[in-house]
Amino acid sequence: MPEQVLELTVNGRKQKKIAKPGARLLDFLRDELNLTGAKEGCGAGECGTCSVFVDGKLVKSCLMPAMKADGATIETVEGLANKGELTPLQRAFHKTGASQCGYCIPGMVMAATSALRENPFADREEIKERLGGNICRCTGYQKIFEAVELARDVMNGRLPATAIDVDEKAEKYIGANVRRLDAPSKVSGSLRYAGDMTMPGMLHMQVLRSPHAHAKILSIDTSEAEALEGVECVVTHEDVPGEDGFGVFVHDQPIMARDKVRYVGEAVAAVAAEDLATARKALGLIRVEYEELPAVFDPFEAMKPGAPKIHDYADGNLTKHIPIRKGDVENGFAEADVIIEETYSTQAVEHAYLEPEAGLAYVDHDGVVTVLSPSQNITHHRHMLSKIIAKPINKVRFIMSAVGGGFGGKEDMIYQGMLALAAMKTMRPVRLVFTREESIATTAKRHPFTTRLKVGFKKDGRITAAEMEAVADGGAYGLSTEGVMRKAAILSCGPYDIANVKVDTRGIYTNNTPSGAFRTFGGMQVQFAMESHMDLAAERLGLDPFEIRYLNAMRDGAVTHTQQKLDSVSATRVMEAAEKASNWERGVPNGRGATRSDLGGPGTRKACTLGARLAEQADHRVEEEVA
Amino acid sequence: MLSCDDYLKPKSLKEALQAVAQAPAGSRVIAGGTDTLPWAREGRAGDVHVPALIDVTKVAEFQGTRIENGRCRIGAAVPYQPFLDDVSLRAALPCMPYCAIWFADDQIREQATLAGNIVNASPVADGTPALLTLNAEVELARLEGDEVAFRRMKLAEFITGPGRTQLMPGELVAAIECETAEGYGGSFEKVGARRSLVISSVCVAGLVKTSEDGRSFADVRLAAGGVGPVAFRFDDIEDELVGAEISEAAVEKAADHAARRVASRSRVEYRREVIRGFVIRAVEDALARARPAIPHTPSLKEAIHA
Repeated sequence: MPEQVLELTVNGRKQKKIAKPGARLLDFLRDELNLTGAKEGCGAGECGTCSVFVDGKLVKSCLMPAMKADGATIETVEGLANKGELTPLQRAFHKTGASQCGYCIPGMVMAATSALRENPFADREEIKERLGGNICRCTGYQKIFEAVELARDVMNGRLPATAIDVDEKAEKYIGANVRRLDAPSKVSGSLRYAGDMTMPGMLHMQVLRSPHAHAKILSIDTSEAEALEGVECVVTHEDVPGEDGFGVFVHDQPIMARDKVRYVGEAVAAVAAEDLATARKALGLIRVEYEELPAVFDPFEAMKPGAPKIHDYADGNLTKHIPIRKGDVENGFAEADVIIEETYSTQAVEHAYLEPEAGLAYVDHDGVVTVLSPSQNITHHRHMLSKIIAKPINKVRFIMSAVGGGFGGKEDMIYQGMLALAAMKTMRPVRLVFTREESIATTAKRHPFTTRLKVGFKKDGRITAAEMEAVADGGAYGLSTEGVMRKAAILSCGPYDIANVKVDTRGIYTNNTPSGAFRTFGGMQVQFAMESHMDLAAERLGLDPFEIRYLNAMRDGAVTHTQQKLDSVSATRVMEAAEKASNWERGVPNGRGATRSDLGGPGTRKACTLGARLAEQADHRVEEEVA
Repeated sequence: MLSCDDYLKPKSLKEALQAVAQAPAGSRVIAGGTDTLPWAREGRAGDVHVPALIDVTKVAEFQGTRIENGRCRIGAAVPYQPFLDDVSLRAALPCMPYCAIWFADDQIREQATLAGNIVNASPVADGTPALLTLNAEVELARLEGDEVAFRRMKLAEFITGPGRTQLMPGELVAAIECETAEGYGGSFEKVGARRSLVISSVCVAGLVKTSEDGRSFADVRLAAGGVGPVAFRFDDIEDELVGAEISEAAVEKAADHAARRVASRSRVEYRREVIRGFVIRAVEDALARARPAIPHTPSLKEAIHA
C-alpha cells in the first residue's frame, strides 16, 4: 500500500507519521495517534461527532484528507482539558447534565468551544446556529444550549467562576438535579466506546449482505476470499457449532443467513482480515448463488392465503397476535350517540443513535468467548450465544461497552454472533464497526402500524366503547415484535376509563427490514391513533380537547383495559400541569383560528430561520466598521 | 471509502496544471473535499480508488479575494465562510452572506470552496444563483505548451446542465470574478429537509437597489436554483420591477411570473408554490437591507406593506 509522510502538530506535540495518501484526518487521528475523542458518526459530514480544530478553524475531520492537514496545527477534544483539568465549557456541560449517551459530546464540546472563541457574547440563537452542524439524539439540545450559555457568561465575566461549580444543596436525589458520574469522561472525550477499542493482533471484520429481499441460498463459495493475502477467516452459517437462532422472543434469526435470505441487507458471510481495506476487498470475492423467491412487502398482503411464506413455522406470516377483551363492545356502541371510525398509519423510523453498532470479540486465556459491545441486553445475549456456539454459560462472557445511544435499537444480537464465531475460528481479537449506511440499512426499525380504530361517544364526550385492530409490519424476523404487540395492546386505548374494549394487535412477517424495539415499544403508534381520535371527537362534539380527556381519564381505582385495578392514577394531574404550562385557551379545537390568543408569544417557538449573526444590529456594526 | 496512490499538493498554478496533465486517468482534483469524500461511500459511488488526488487548495494563485474597480475576484481555493465573516466582502457582495449562512454549516463552510460548488454544477448549488445576480464570470486556466493560458466566460454560459460545464480536460477554474454591489440589499431564500447541512430543494438569491428617494426600484436582480436543470435569472421579473414604484402589489404581480419558469421533473406543483413566495420574500428581504441614499425615510419593509 502506498504511503506518504505527514508532519503536523497535534495538541501541542509535533507528530511525524507515515500515512496512507487517501486516509482522512479522522482515520489518522484515531488509528495512528489513538485519539478517539473524535468519532465517526456518519462519515459524510452530517453529524459533527468528528469535529476538530485545524489551524484554529473547526472542521469535520471525516471530510478532510489527512494529507491536506500536512503542516497544520490540530487541536482535538483531548487537547482541551490540559492535564485532566476540564475547561469551563466542559464543566458547564457536566453541571447542566448536557451529556447523556455522550457520543455526540466531544464534537458538541468542540463546536461550542469554537462558537465561544468566535463570539464570546454569542446569544442563544447564534449558539444554536453555530452548533447547527452537530447532531444530538438524546438531549433535545436544551441542556447543551444551557451549558454553552452558562460557560459563556462565566468566561466573559458576566457570572462569577463559581457559577459552574456550585450545586444546589443535595439533601435529596429525587426531584433534584444530580450530577452524572460519567459526564467528565464524556465531555473530555476519554470514554472509549466499542469502536474506539483496539487489542494487539486485532482483526477487522466486514459483512457480506444480501442484495435480495427473499431468495434461496444455493451455494456460498468463500475460497477465493479466504485465499486473499491478509484474510484470516471467512465465517458463514456453516461455522455455527450449536443451535442457531436468536431473537428477543422467538429465536427465528440465524447468526448469518441459512438456506435463505429474508431481507435486503441480511448478513450472509463475514470476513476477518488484517485491515479494513482487505476485508472489504475480500467481500467482493465471495460467490453466493441465489434463487430469487417471491417476496412480500405489505403485511396485509402477507396475511392473505397463498402469500409467500417467510418462516416455515409461521402460518399466515403471523408473528404474534395479542387480543384483549373487556366488557362488550357491541353493547357499548349501541349506547353511543356518535361513533367515529378511522384508520391511521405510521411509518418505520430509524433510531439514528450517533454511535453506529460496533463490537470487539476475543477468546481469553481461559477459553472464555468474550464479546464487548453496546448491547442493551447482555444477559439475554449471553444465554443465546452459549446455545449458538455450544459452550457452557461460564465460557461465554458479554461486556457492555458504553452505549452511544440505543433507544431500543441495540437490544438485538444482530452482529455479536458473527464476531464470536470469527474470534473462535482465528483465536484473535476481531472488531466490527458498522458504517452509518450499514446501520440504517440493516438494523431494526420502529414497527410501521396500520391501526383501525372505532370509538363510541356519548354527547357529553364520555367513551362507551373502543375497538382497535392494529396490524404491524414486523419485517423479516421476530426480534421484539411479540413484546411490541403486547405493549401496543395494553396501551392501545390510552389512559382512559372505558368499560368496553376490544383490541387486536398483530405482528406480521414481511420481507422488509426487521422491526424491533424503539422508545415506547409500540405505545406511540397506537397512541397516535387514540389521541388523534380524541381530537376528532372534540371537534365533532364541540368540546375542548383537554375537557374530553379529563372527562374520560382514569382516576384512582380505575380498571385498565387488561383488567388491572390501579390504586393511584396521575393522568389528570399530568394533564393539568400540561394545560397550565402551555397557557392553553379553552375552546373547541376547530373554528376559532385567528381569535386564539395562546398561539405565538411567550413560551412558543418562532419559525426556523438562520442569520442571527447577520441580524440588523450586526448590519449596523458592519456599517460602522466599513466607515 | 476513498483510496488513492498519491496525494499531490501543487503550490503554483503551473504545477497544478502540470499535475492535472500528467496524472493517470481517473485522478481527481479536489479542493474542500466536502463533496468528494461523501461521494465515495455506500449508496453512492461505493469504494473508489483513484490514482491521484490533486489538492488545489495550496495553489498560490487560488488564494484570497480582491476587491477593486467595482469588481471582486475570488480565488478558486476560497471557502464559503469568508463571505459570512469578512466585513468588506459582506458589504461588496450583499447577497453572499445570506447565501453562505444557508450553505451547510460553519465547519463545512471553512472547507468547501465557492469554486468547487460552481464546478460541480449541481442544479441546486447554493452559490450559483447568488453569483448569477452578481453577473459572475469564471476564469479558466490551461497549459499551452509550457505557458499558462486563460480564458473567461459568463457563469451562465459555463454551466450547461446538471453536473455539466464547459470545463475542458486539463483545465482548472482559477477564479470567479463578479461585480460588486455596494448599496444593494441582498437576500437568499432556501428550503430543504432541515435547517443546517441540507441540500436545497429550491433557492432564490436577490439583489435590490432603490432610487435615491427610496420610492422606486433602481435595480432588481433575482436568480433561482432547484427549479430546472440549471440555475437562471428571472429577467422578466427584473424588467418589470426596475423603475417601478415600490409596492406590495408590484412585487406580487411580478412574482406571478415565477411559477411558469419551473422546469423541474419532480414536485413541480410544490416548487411553483415555493418559488412565487421566495421571489416575493427575496425582494422584500433585500429591500429591507438596501440602504436608501436619503436618510430618515420610513423602513422600506413598512413601506411595502403600507
